[in-house]
Parts: sequence; structure tokens; C-alpha cells
Amino acid sequence: MRHVVFFGRLLREGGLEVGPRRIADALRGLDAIDLGRQEDVYWTLRQTLVSRREDLETFDRAFHAWFLHVATEPGLRPLEPPPPSVARRRVGLPGPGAELDVSEIEAGAWSHDELLRTRDFAAMTPEEFARARELIRQIAVGRPRRRTHRLRRDRRGHTLDVRALVRASLATGGDPVVRAYRSRSDAPRKLVLILDISGSMEAYARALLLYLHAARGSGRRVETFAFGTRLTRLTVELGTRSADDALAAASERVLDWSGGTRIGESLKAYNDEWGRRALTRGAVVVVLSDGCERGDPTLVASEMARLAHQAYAVVWVNPLKGDPGYEPLTGGMRAAAAHIDRLVSGHDVASLEALGAVLGSIERRHAA
Amino acid sequence: MKPGSIDELDAALAGASYLADRGLATALYLSLELEKPLLLEGEAGVGKTEAAKAIATALGAPLIRLQCYEGLDIAHAVYEWNYARQLLHIRAAQSGTIDEGELFGPEFLIRRPVLEALESDERAVLLIDEIDRADEEFEAFLLEVLSDFQVTVPELGTIAARQRPYVILTSNRTRELHDALKRRCLYHWIDHPSVEREIQIVELRVPGVPERLAAEAARFAAELRSLDLQKPPGLAETIDWVRALSALGRQELDVENVEATLGTLLKYHEDLLAIRDEALAGLVAAARG
Repeated sequence: MRHVVFFGRLLREGGLEVGPRRIADALRGLDAIDLGRQEDVYWTLRQTLVSRREDLETFDRAFHAWFLHVATEPGLRPLEPPPPSVARRRVGLPGPGAELDVSEIEAGAWSHDELLRTRDFAAMTPEEFARARELIRQIAVGRPRRRTHRLRRDRRGHTLDVRALVRASLATGGDPVVRAYRSRSDAPRKLVLILDISGSMEAYARALLLYLHAARGSGRRVETFAFGTRLTRLTVELGTRSADDALAAASERVLDWSGGTRIGESLKAYNDEWGRRALTRGAVVVVLSDGCERGDPTLVASEMARLAHQAYAVVWVNPLKGDPGYEPLTGGMRAAAAHIDRLVSGHDVASLEALGAVLGSIERRHAA
Repeated sequence: MKPGSIDELDAALAGASYLADRGLATALYLSLELEKPLLLEGEAGVGKTEAAKAIATALGAPLIRLQCYEGLDIAHAVYEWNYARQLLHIRAAQSGTIDEGELFGPEFLIRRPVLEALESDERAVLLIDEIDRADEEFEAFLLEVLSDFQVTVPELGTIAARQRPYVILTSNRTRELHDALKRRCLYHWIDHPSVEREIQIVELRVPGVPERLAAEAARFAAELRSLDLQKPPGLAETIDWVRALSALGRQELDVENVEATLGTLLKYHEDLLAIRDEALAGLVAAARG
């Protein structure tokens, strides 16, 4: 009994959610089986304590360490969270002190905001950025809608609401006099955002990450990812209400800030792991990257093709496009171009607002 | 009847033509013992749905299946009123002589899978297939059913389960399920079977298959799974494929046959393009050992 409780604690340290209820299930499970068979003990503990495939590896390591007393490889314990200052620096957020109290600059801020809207993120001072992040937070992220199969009551609908009709007919002796209708309603379409946080994107990554956080807050069915050399899912981390907490959690999770870029491989990782699970199907996918690929551009092309094939529409946000003289010359960008429905810039607040409008009105891609 | 040990359950499943590995047998056994729903996840085609069918056969229990899809609502999952009958009933009676209570009585209720499972006289196996396809609202509703094993029909009141059904949920992980739902369930991830196991399963499911063909086909499928494909073949595909080859009277794999029948195994055009010519010949050679 105490073994199981301690084992549960070990799993929790490894990042699993193991509540008292699961421990109780595990104990009841062990009661029901023959403890002499180690294999059965393994399965019983695994099936009662773990509920996600991602956690199986951690479980296996903990099981080997605890029950078999096998030396475990390092890595079971989560790394110590970096001190807050490091986290902030890594995301490139203005440190404490540089951040302005928003209420102080509220007076007369409007015209200032107008200027800020079109100021390139890369050229902002920490003070300006502090204000800009407030603006980004307020951006309404457009969500294209999709029609659902679920019917809602609607007087102008076309499907008869028979249940309501029967009830109303009681008063008229079975004559359906009053008619009620239902119609299909709509719901936000899935939105997938994939952000490039490699070195070449450094000036924009922090602003765009804030945008991802704002998008995540726009409702359900939003998935967010970041990549430099490898892909990290940030949906859970960016789900926190406070932008600061969300960014701190995200920076802890992402290990390759400002490193190299592997767009093709990262998209492949996304397609293999998430596309195969049909996340892309019917979704609007937004890739935010400057397209500077260090790897093989042909991989970018083939993975973008896979992505575009399944998605409802693909939008590419490239901060470099803010430069009037910009031409998509980088290898990655050229390779991807054929599979993009809309290419927009994302270098300032105004362009992110425009992105919201694009997402809200985008139509299904035709070439597919 | 409920098996008394994992070994007994294993034998009963084998009797239902289903070879479960030890992990799955343990999961099913615990689900029966602890009376908790079992959530099965795994790649498409590893036999999640088949497991539910097999346990129903092994227990001699009726299998009630709820196939989930986007937009699935209570009217299709739990109950619906038989409106046509209600209208006729109002017509038949003189107006004003019936009250609502009569009209919304059990005889006008159409029972959908969930209610059917709760009201079943025999203890049933309720299979909730591909729960990840249903809307999140439905998941929340299901959570209520799974915790109390009762449903409330506003006009009738609460209907509690006569016998708690054994519940098996499957998911292809097109989205992450809600934690609260997972907390209610035991969890088992089904992996692709080992080659030896796959040979046994194929032999069991395709009676009269030449031994050599079964072995080569299982090795071929395993080779395919180790490649980087859009959709690697599942166990179900291997069985279909061997059935096709066996029906054609083949005793063993050769390039020509594989080429002609590969469409049963690989479902994506890109995958079929990737596996041909030398790649195909190489795989066939490897499978033939």
C-alpha cells in the first residue's frame, strides 16, 4: 500500500497527474490480480495510473526504477524551472522596471497608440513594447465559422421541430397548427498556429507569441505550436489567462529559443504527430515564419503540400513582408509559396489586426 | 458469466476468436472487476472495436454500440420521442381527453443505445466507439451518465440502470479527451501486435490460410510499419489483405501479387507511390526471409 502511494508521488514528480482516486483504483486493481506475476502488476498500475499515451514513457521509467530497482536514466525528474529573470530574458520580454504601468499612460494614449500600431516590432523600445503588448492582447482574433450538424431552435429555420410541434398540437387536438423550426447553427472552425521562434525571428517571436496567446483565448479548438529546430506544443501553456504566466510557462517548455531553423522537419513532425490524428482536417492553419530554412527546401515543399492537402486553408505570416521591397527569395519561402492561400505580414500591430480580418473571412482553398 | 482470473478471461476471449495480449486482457479483466469504464486508444486498425465485440461474446452479454460522430446529440444517443405515434394518439383520442403525462409515457419513447444499455435486463457491454469524434458537449453529458449510470428524461423522470453496463470507449485521438472523462476510466494503449502475435491472429481470423502466407504477410506489414508512411497498415488491414491473397489461392508472397493487392493494405496514394518497384521488391524479399 505504501509502495503504491510512494510510486504515485514519483509519477507526480515526473509530471503525471495522479490523484488519490487513481491510487485507490490501483490498490483495488492489485487486490484483484495475482501479485506473483510481475507483468500483471505492471499492466494494472499502468492502466489505473496513466491516462495519456505521452505519459507511458515516464511511467515505464518510474516503474523500472521503483519496482525493479533498475538504475534509471536521468531525465525523470523535470528540470528545475529557470529563475524568472532567465525566463523573461529568453522570451525577450522587457524585464521588471522597464514595464510601464499602463494606467499612467492612459491619458492621451490614443494618438500614441495609432503611431505604435504601425511601428515595426523589431524597432520598438521596451517601453513601446510594453504598450504594444496591451494592444495585441486586445486584438480580436478572427475565427472562420463552420456549420455544425447540431440543430438549434430557429423560427426562420427549415427543419421542422417535431418535438415542439407535438407539444403544441395537444391544445388543438392533434392538428399541427403552430409550427416550430430548427436549423443548423455554426461554430468556430479549428485554428492551428505554428510559430517559428528561431534566431532569425528573434525580433518578432515575443510579439507573435503574445498573439498566439490572444488567439488561444479566443475560444475552443485552438492549437498552438512553436518550433526552432524541433516542434513543441504550447496549447496547454498558453491556456493561462495571464499573458505573463503563459509566456513564462511557454519559455520553460521550449528548449530551443533563438537557435537554428528547421522548418521542413518541424512541419514534418507536426504532420506526423498531429496531422495524422486529423487535427489539420478542416482547420485553418497559420504558419508564422520568415521562411529562412537552414535545412532542405524540398522537404518544406513536400510537408507544406501535405499540410495544405488536409487543411481548410493555409495562411503564412511573414514579418519580412512588412518591408515594401520584400520578395519571397528565401529557399523555404519559395518552396512553401505554392501551398499557401494567403501570405500576410506580421511585423506590427496593424498587420496582426489585418490578420484577424483575413482569418475571419477566409474561404476554403481551391487548389488541393 | 464473469471470469475469475486474467487467464480465464484470456481463454474466453480466445474462444471468441480474439487473441488479446496480456496487457489488454488485464485491462478488460480490471474493467470488469473494478466496474470502471475502459478507454482504449491506439492507431487505427489495432483492434479496439474488435476487443469490445470479443468481450461481449466471451461474457455472453449483449453488445450495444454507439458510434460517435460530430453533431451526435441526445436524441440519437439516449432517447427520442416517437412523434408520429404521439400525433396519431392525440388524433385517436378526442381532443382534450388526454393529458401530457399520458403522451410522454414510456410507450412513446424510442430507446437509443445509452438508454437501451441502462434498461437492459441482462448486463450489457456498451461500446462507445470513436468518442473523440463527438462534440465536447456530448462528452460532458457522457461523463454524467458514466458517473451515475442514470439519465433524466424531463417528462418521465430519472431512469437508473437496472444493471450497470460494462462500458468500453475507443478513441483515435483526433483530439485530446477531457481529463474529467479520463479520470473515470481505466486506460489502455494498444500497440501494433508483435509479428508472432500477428501471425497467430491472422491464422485465427482467416481459416485455412497457408502458414507461409500468414507469416510472410505479417512480416511484410511489420516492415511497412517501420517505414515513414502517412498511414501504416493496421491489423485489420493485414487481415483483409491476407483474406484477399488467400482467396486468390496464393501460398506465399511475390512481387506481382503484392503489387496487385497493395491497395487493401495502404490507403493513401502517396504511400502507394512510395512503395513500388525496388522498394516493394526489397520489402517482399525481406518478408520472405
